Amino acid sequence: MAAFDPEKFEDKYVHYFAELQRAYKNAFETMREPYDSDLIHAIDQLVLNESEPFYEDGTFRVELPDDPADRMAGSGVAVDAETLDAALDDYVAEIEAELHRVLGVERDE
Amino acid sequence: MSTDAQEADDDLKERVSNFLRRNFPQIQMHGGSAAIQGLDRETGEVTIQLGGACSGCGISPMTIQAIKSRMVKEIPEIEIVHADTGMGGGHDGGGGGMSPSFPGDTTEDSDRDEGPQAPF
Repeated sequence: MAAFDPEKFEDKYVHYFAELQRAYKNAFETMREPYDSDLIHAIDQLVLNESEPFYEDGTFRVELPDDPADRMAGSGVAVDAETLDAALDDYVAEIEAELHRVLGVERDE
Repeated sequence: MSTDAQEADDDLKERVSNFLRRNFPQIQMHGGSAAIQGLDRETGEVTIQLGGACSGCGISPMTIQAIKSRMVKEIPEIEIVHADTGMGGGHDGGGGGMSPSFPGDTTEDSDRDEGPQAPF
């Protein structure tokens, strides 16, 4: 795989779309293990569909929409705020880890 | 609506369909579908519904973002893209998660516009 090019990531949906898809899908599959599948499915469809990954200073970062709890309200999945926050934190961390893995970028510690 | 306006609507709709087929062949190749639910040429708004396997594949969030980002750049008449998987209330996710049910739902003439192969 060609070396990761931060400048190309500015236009990520053209240059890195396949890698982004793979990272999101890998994270989705991983998250279905420890968490309720309905919950992860709903987060995937209702929250992550407004998420956006960024690359800054050697690190990938995923931004979520402002209102994930409100978005989840339409899912029919009952989840308390604490569980949702924990799942979102884990999900974002997993996607970010997958982005580093899939794109072959070592994390700057 | 005049005939000219109707033709312009149809032309724009076809360009949107072609854009989806050309740039997002994964949708159909993975058993999903992308249907144009609404198109307003005056406001430049288009509503696209991903269905089939897209409703639970783990790839659709990124696909939706990519469609939104790219379509407004590549089709000048389009200014706002609404795209989702139609989830809200009833969904069939659950333990299985995936439901590749109606892969051919997308378009009327899916054999017309070739596109690149899905990357995986």
